[in-house]
Amino acid sequence: MTTTEPAILIENLTKRYGSGPTAVDALKGVDMSIAPGEVVGLIGPSGSGKTTLLKCLGAVIEPTSGRFTLAGEVIYDNAWKRTDLRALRRDRIGFVFQAPYLIPFLDATDNVALLPMLAGVKNAVARATALEMLTALDVQHRAHARVPELSGGEQQRVAIARALANKPPIILADEPTAPLDSERALAVVKILNRLAQEFQTAIIVVTHDEKIIPTFKRIYQIRDGKTYEEAGEGRSI
Amino acid sequence: MLANPPFGPREETGALMKPRTKVIVLIASVVSFLGAFFWLLTTHGPLSPVGVQVGNAVRADLQPSVFGIGTVDARLSYAVGPTAAGRVLRVLVDHGDEVKAGQLLAEMDPVDMDRRIEAAKSTGARSRQTARVADALVAEAESRAKLATMNRDRDRKLYEQHVISKQALDNSTVEAERAEAALAAARANAAAVRQDTGRVDAESQGLGSLRENLRLVSPVDGVIVSREAEPGTTVVAGQAVLRVIVPESLWVRARVDQSRAQGVQVGQVAGIVLRSAPGTQMPGRVARIELQSDPVTEERVVNVSFDAPPARLYLGELAEVTIQLPAEPGVLVVPSAAIVREDGQTGVWQMVDGNARFNPVTIGSQGQAGVTQILAGLGEGDSVIVYSTAQLKQGARVREQKVDQR
Amino acid sequence: MINLARRDVANHLGRYLLTGVGLGLLIGVTLTMAGVYRGMVDDARVLLRAVRADIWVVQQNTLGPFAEPSSLQDDVYRSLEGLPGVVETGNVAYLTMQAKHRGKDVRVMVAGYTPGRLGGPSFLVAGRPIAQSHYEAVADAKTGFEVGDRIRIRRNDYTVVGLTRRMVSSGGDPMVFIPLKDAQEAQFLKDNESIVNDRNRLADNPAINRPGQPGVLKAVETIQTASHRVNAVLVRVEEGHDPRQVADNIKRWKHLTAYTSADMEEILVAKLIATAARQIALFLIILAVVSAAIVAFIIYTMTLGKIKEIAVLKLIGTRDRTIAAMIMQEALGLGVIGFFVGKFAATLWAPVFPKYVLLETNDAMRAFVITLVICALASVLAIRAALHIDPAEAIGG
Repeated sequence: MTTTEPAILIENLTKRYGSGPTAVDALKGVDMSIAPGEVVGLIGPSGSGKTTLLKCLGAVIEPTSGRFTLAGEVIYDNAWKRTDLRALRRDRIGFVFQAPYLIPFLDATDNVALLPMLAGVKNAVARATALEMLTALDVQHRAHARVPELSGGEQQRVAIARALANKPPIILADEPTAPLDSERALAVVKILNRLAQEFQTAIIVVTHDEKIIPTFKRIYQIRDGKTYEEAGEGRSI
Repeated sequence: MLANPPFGPREETGALMKPRTKVIVLIASVVSFLGAFFWLLTTHGPLSPVGVQVGNAVRADLQPSVFGIGTVDARLSYAVGPTAAGRVLRVLVDHGDEVKAGQLLAEMDPVDMDRRIEAAKSTGARSRQTARVADALVAEAESRAKLATMNRDRDRKLYEQHVISKQALDNSTVEAERAEAALAAARANAAAVRQDTGRVDAESQGLGSLRENLRLVSPVDGVIVSREAEPGTTVVAGQAVLRVIVPESLWVRARVDQSRAQGVQVGQVAGIVLRSAPGTQMPGRVARIELQSDPVTEERVVNVSFDAPPARLYLGELAEVTIQLPAEPGVLVVPSAAIVREDGQTGVWQMVDGNARFNPVTIGSQGQAGVTQILAGLGEGDSVIVYSTAQLKQGARVREQKVDQR
Repeated sequence: MINLARRDVANHLGRYLLTGVGLGLLIGVTLTMAGVYRGMVDDARVLLRAVRADIWVVQQNTLGPFAEPSSLQDDVYRSLEGLPGVVETGNVAYLTMQAKHRGKDVRVMVAGYTPGRLGGPSFLVAGRPIAQSHYEAVADAKTGFEVGDRIRIRRNDYTVVGLTRRMVSSGGDPMVFIPLKDAQEAQFLKDNESIVNDRNRLADNPAINRPGQPGVLKAVETIQTASHRVNAVLVRVEEGHDPRQVADNIKRWKHLTAYTSADMEEILVAKLIATAARQIALFLIILAVVSAAIVAFIIYTMTLGKIKEIAVLKLIGTRDRTIAAMIMQEALGLGVIGFFVGKFAATLWAPVFPKYVLLETNDAMRAFVITLVICALASVLAIRAALHIDPAEAIGG
């Protein structure tokens, strides 16, 4: 499973909000390493810095110090190494949220194809890729449906397909199963595992859903701004 | 890949229409909106052509008429008054009374005239007496002259018979001459006295005429229309005490525009409408056209008589007359509204290939039905623009439509 | 790259179109107000254009006959006709007054002219022109009169024989044309009490009411009541002659004031209606500013309603200019729809408006450009707000 290079490598990442006596250290030195094709869980209570870590991983906020290497490319080393973070997010990081956050005025295919189009891919090619992704998630028969016409589960799958559209090295999933029941939650995790293997994508799943935690083979616990790696149950679905 | 995805295929509830139908409807409505937009712009906006209504030049019988307004007047109207200044003694008639010719209407104060007449009469009587005396004297002188002549003739005979002396003959001759002279004198005296009598009589007659003049009599059979002086008022010579009119001579003294008066002739039928009876038109006739026009108002005075004067008429009342000029049968006419003046010329607008074109014409009289005669410039059946929604200019785009007030 | 604006609009087309229609009505009202302004200026000019006189001759040193009272002898026209370059003349009398029609008063401007000469209406929409020398009238359709109606002006009843359109005074009152003599009488003849009063006064005057000369009193009375005055004489100049020269000629030799039609237009527009026009112009500006503000507000709110979508777009990596283009396109689209709807509505309801509305194409063009500019500016403001949205908001925290 592990290849020469980890998909994500976090070294001693810190994040301090504010300055002076009122400063808050949300992250106090986080280390993480995830291989391509791995699905790991990120678990922690609220206030533990979990959201902050996710935002740093998503290149949405700037850490205070540390190093962040993404698929071999150092993108942060005490300062951003890339100027266009939005392009970074678009091309190299996939996001799956608790809510699908699809663009309501685009249909399923266009929602997924939007990312490659933004990256400069021609419309026809992008749509073909989108269809491929939708097929991978078994929602190709809803390819031309509008967002409001899709069921919750279909929307979630389209969202996942969108995350994959540019074939990024990592996918960040923030509580993807929170609103689902156990059957569907496990189905989502199953899909994530499959996709991780198929596309060799590293997936970090931030969750506190007891239903799916046992499925992870590796888990990162975060407490008080630091992460602790531990082995998971790895229960098969 | 799983054969069956964990979540079943959701039913396509979908929108009301398929996407394709929606697009078609959308395009159709946009197109129809734009169409309506441009239609509206070209028919109502500033870019639209001027709407016109056309009519034709046709042959019709023209019934021209001339209109004038005037007042009811009396042709025969008399102001009765004294020929010398004096005071009004009595007025016997009043407003509205019917009088006969010669009827005494009023009398001026004779003052001392009666007494002067008396005096003249006395003088006349006395003069006649004096005449009688003179005549008697003439008779006397005649007889004396006769006697003297007889004596002379006898004495002559006697002298021839040498009975009497020459001296005696001379005496009788002289006596005879003296008696002749006395006779002549007496005759002259008598003649003088008669002349005097004549003078006194004439004076008396003159006073009598003056006295007559103080009696104001009506010159005609008529009606009193005004009483202008009351007894006791002093009036001057020529001032009217009463006014008399002959009611059958009432007519309307109407003023007609000189520009339209052409063709008005005595004897033409006219309709008279009095201001007090605006709904009734009374028949009349043109009685006289005055030779003197009014240069200031540019009007000609036409007098229109009533065919049958109505029961009550009021002098000075306003009246409208419409004089019927002789009908002109079968002339070319167009609706009067089509005649316009453009650049100092009279003409009509015509619609030629969707544009307005001005065509100068010569016009004749206007008829009562709102048509005007065309003397030159158009042929029978030619179409002319009668009404338009805006002012026309040479070459303006026009479109035929029913022009209504809005 | 797909066009986000098109898809966004297609997604809620009804709401978008409705917003456009709403904007359109606002724009339509502004266009109408501009039309009222133009109509006001046109009102001032319309009589001049319709009468088509090259020169207006008025009482010396007055701005008459509309801006100031002017009174001339009615035989002045004869001496004017003799001047070189003068083709035709016409006496005119104007007075603004109430005409009685079916028991109601209508405010009109009565214009007296001689049929066949300058001063009358240039076209009709119904009936026929005046044919009699008295008691007939041609009225503007705005009075509400119909052909055959009888109306009362002062002492006399007139029969409406014809109707015209767009014949108004500079104040917007519809005109009624009657024969000149009737207008003179209406203007100068006093009411019965005054006339009787004057007659009594004359009769008491021993210098006039001489016992031996009864004719004198009558003559003086006639002079007093006769009306031989007019307000202006219209002159038409021959082709090839310069109206200004002829006007100067008249001024110099006839001791009258003569205005060319350009002068008259200036007097009417710059002096007579200036105050009212300025008021309307002020209204127009306020209305335009308010409309612009509302348009901007609507576009701004429309954009802010898309915060979620914009945040997500930003999060997934959409470029700023793509988002900006979407907002700008939607705003301009609204502007275009609004303009067309507004112009359509204004053209539709302009004829029904109580005051004359003149919609000029130039104004419409200007309105179109201004609308688009406002929409663009408003969208810029909205875009700036949109681009400040932190994509991190999309991630729950």
